[in-house]
Amino acid sequence: MSAAVYLEGITKRFPGVVANDEVDLEVEEGSIHALLGENGAGKTTLMNVLYGLYQPDGGTVHLDGEPREFETPRDAIDAGVGMIHQHFMLVDTLTTAENIVLGHEPRKWGGLAIDRVRADREVRELSRRYGFDVDPEARVENVSVGVQQRVEILKALYGGADVLILDEPTAVLTPQEVADLFEVFDELAAEDKTIIFITHKLGEAMEAADDITVLRNGKNVGTVDADATTREELAELMVGREVLLEADKEPADPGAVGLAVSDLRVTDDRGVEQVRGVDIDAREGEVFGIAGVDGNGQSELVEAVTGLRTPESGRVEIGGEDVTDRSRRERIDAGMAYIPEDRQERGLVMEFDLVENGLLGSQHTSEFAAGGRIDWEHTREHAEEIIAEYDVRPPNADAESASLSGGNQQKFIVGREFARDPDVIVASHPTRGVDVGSIEFIHDRLLDLRRAGKTVLLVSSKLDEVQQLSDRLGVMHEGELVDVVDPDRVTEEELGLLMAGETPEDAPSIADPPGGDR
Amino acid sequence: MSGDDSTIGRALGGLVDASAIERILISLAALGLSVVVGAVVVLISGWVLSPCPSAPFATLGGLGEFCYNPIEVYWVLLKGAFGSTFNLATTLQETTLLLFTGLSVAVAFRAGMFNIGTQGQLVLGALGTGLSVLWVAPVVPAGLVGGVVLVAVGLLVGAAVGGFWGAIPGALKAYADANEVITTIMLNFVATGIAFTLVSEVFKDPGSQTVQTRFVPEYAQLPALVLGIDGFSMLALVGGLALAGLVYWVLRGTSFGYDLRTSGVQPDAAEYGGVDAKKTMVSSMALSGALGGVGGAVYVLMVAGQWQSGIPSLGFDGITVSILAGNNPIGVVPAALLFGALKGGSLVIEFDLAVPQQLVGVLRGLVILFVAMPEFFRMAGIRYGYGDDEPAVATDGGTPREGGADDGGDSE
Repeated sequence: MSAAVYLEGITKRFPGVVANDEVDLEVEEGSIHALLGENGAGKTTLMNVLYGLYQPDGGTVHLDGEPREFETPRDAIDAGVGMIHQHFMLVDTLTTAENIVLGHEPRKWGGLAIDRVRADREVRELSRRYGFDVDPEARVENVSVGVQQRVEILKALYGGADVLILDEPTAVLTPQEVADLFEVFDELAAEDKTIIFITHKLGEAMEAADDITVLRNGKNVGTVDADATTREELAELMVGREVLLEADKEPADPGAVGLAVSDLRVTDDRGVEQVRGVDIDAREGEVFGIAGVDGNGQSELVEAVTGLRTPESGRVEIGGEDVTDRSRRERIDAGMAYIPEDRQERGLVMEFDLVENGLLGSQHTSEFAAGGRIDWEHTREHAEEIIAEYDVRPPNADAESASLSGGNQQKFIVGREFARDPDVIVASHPTRGVDVGSIEFIHDRLLDLRRAGKTVLLVSSKLDEVQQLSDRLGVMHEGELVDVVDPDRVTEEELGLLMAGETPEDAPSIADPPGGDR
Repeated sequence: MSGDDSTIGRALGGLVDASAIERILISLAALGLSVVVGAVVVLISGWVLSPCPSAPFATLGGLGEFCYNPIEVYWVLLKGAFGSTFNLATTLQETTLLLFTGLSVAVAFRAGMFNIGTQGQLVLGALGTGLSVLWVAPVVPAGLVGGVVLVAVGLLVGAAVGGFWGAIPGALKAYADANEVITTIMLNFVATGIAFTLVSEVFKDPGSQTVQTRFVPEYAQLPALVLGIDGFSMLALVGGLALAGLVYWVLRGTSFGYDLRTSGVQPDAAEYGGVDAKKTMVSSMALSGALGGVGGAVYVLMVAGQWQSGIPSLGFDGITVSILAGNNPIGVVPAALLFGALKGGSLVIEFDLAVPQQLVGVLRGLVILFVAMPEFFRMAGIRYGYGDDEPAVATDGGTPREGGADDGGDSE
């Protein structure tokens, strides 16, 4: 049996860089193939070549043993290749069925009108065949992200795709939706569909794929059997050196309360109460983690703590001082660093270069702007130090921040915030979208700060991250801190239950930090 | 999105990514192109008119007569702008005034606000200047010393009044969420109404039929220094140029400017960086209004010598000047000069040639349209996320604005 997809020696150059360097990739028909690599390894570029978005500078794309040339995605779609992008391309106001048939609408009255009845029926059949739970009449804007993704998959299948490419399909999903997606993969593979999915998460590649191809710096550094490999082997292939997957952490030595939140109530922009009486007492030398399914009030909590949102009631204290009514700027001055959840809206000014972005939040300090006059020379040095220390690529302080990839943007923000020499660090999803090597680095720096006696409030939807780094772990559900548990003793099942709002009998809850003396 | 491969997408992307020098070259090319297109318009309108009232400039067998010579039209336009001392002074007078109003609009734009109200700020600033100079004049000695004091007072009061009038829509936006486009337009009417009423009822020059104040003393008017033509002062021009440099420095080199620009391009990031959004709105609109007010002061002290009703629409032209300049304070200088030259030149065409006034207006419009459009589309392109820089591709060949090609969990 010949491979469904065979990419032979694909080379793709962009000005100043080789994104894909003679990459070979072979994917068997009916198999699930993970394309694994760090940010900027060339995974998406390679798939864009297969999908006809880019023309390769060298090499050939073969489908079912035939060499093909795709000038546009249209050609690729006609040849049975479908791609589901990270950002969905659906029309929100249309129904799922309308979205799925878009471009291939069944017609009636001699092609004059769309046969909606048939469209609905066909979508229903297709959906049933693959075990998808998709209501053809629901509007896309009203269905969950997981369902939207299925709509995208169905759309590709409806268009006749035999090869499905998914770019970071799990990035937008909850853990349960991820599990469902992987079941869908199995269903599709059983129907002889070929699946290639891009990821930088080791665990997902191992869990879902039959084979894993690792890209590093635009080169294929190896294809391995998912059942026969280990996380360590994959991490080493990705990064090119040995990686410590577990952060080294000595027992906490908590001091006084560095960041206190008491009975905090916060409403969102629509006036809905999202934080319902939360109490937190994060201590110096401690990482206080907050776990929870996204959208359970974490964002509003963080915004209220950092001064971006005015709480309805309650108090926020930094080092024992009430800062509830202080502005964002006063909180920065009081020694608070903040890695925001949304780096492109908040964390960086996209149009500014890195020199100017390095100044964000410090533009009134005497170090950078004594007497209101900005010291650009010092600011530039500052940005260059961050770039060097945090391995921001490209290492060019004059680069516009919009031009950096997400992982590098994140590294720059983390570097800038840690460089403030803060007393309190609020880190919201600090490693979101960052590759393995950088995750290790950011985790180490967070633990350095903890060692130095700083207070860290860590919010993350990655369970392994909060569990690994935290000394105490609060779980949020519907705006309440349902429990504070010992991350070393709590099981993933117990966490799962807590996140779902249920209270397991024997959850190892702790009110005070381990070893803490009051 | 930036991965748009359509022709329009590529064109917008190219404009967004253009470097400063490329943008200047694009502007110059657009200027050249507008002349070519304008020449064709002149030819055709001359042909439509045939038979010509006077001797045709060219006759093509079978096609008919062409009444106007496009080369001559543009030559007279150029001569009209720069050809004589008087013409040059007219051009530079307009240039000087537009420098101030252009800067006013540019500052607001950079802070993310569309100040349509520069006209009103200018009108009231001019009134403040006129009245304060008339009020102080009796207590200072005549001559140079008195002149220096009066000019200083006039400029300060003009800036203060304009700044106050600009701060109002800023505060309305910050604290009452009122759209500044609407409020500034409305405040223009209010400003004109207040000024007209005050002058006609209280401060009217008793020796005049029209609604105007008395003239400020001769020695309080800005001296010509060079060219020797009334109505243009080299001092004001140099002051305007220095102000452009100062505004550039404030935007680029100070904490206030950083706050202002950050609020202008990305308010959420500014808030994150500790910028007080409301305060910045008010202060940047106040600065914008103050620049408009100085424009009004210079109008009184250099051009009119008094406040009079029917002040020309310098504030509105400032909007176009600012867009032409890409809202860059330094770019305002050539943009104001272009406007000034068009004004000076077109006045002369009407005298010298049989070309109708409306046609000259078309030529002016073409120049502005052609030069402003690339910048306009560039602004639109930025807004809708077109273009990506080379380094982006250099790291991963991806779509950086969307969160990086290989960027994982960018959203929940």
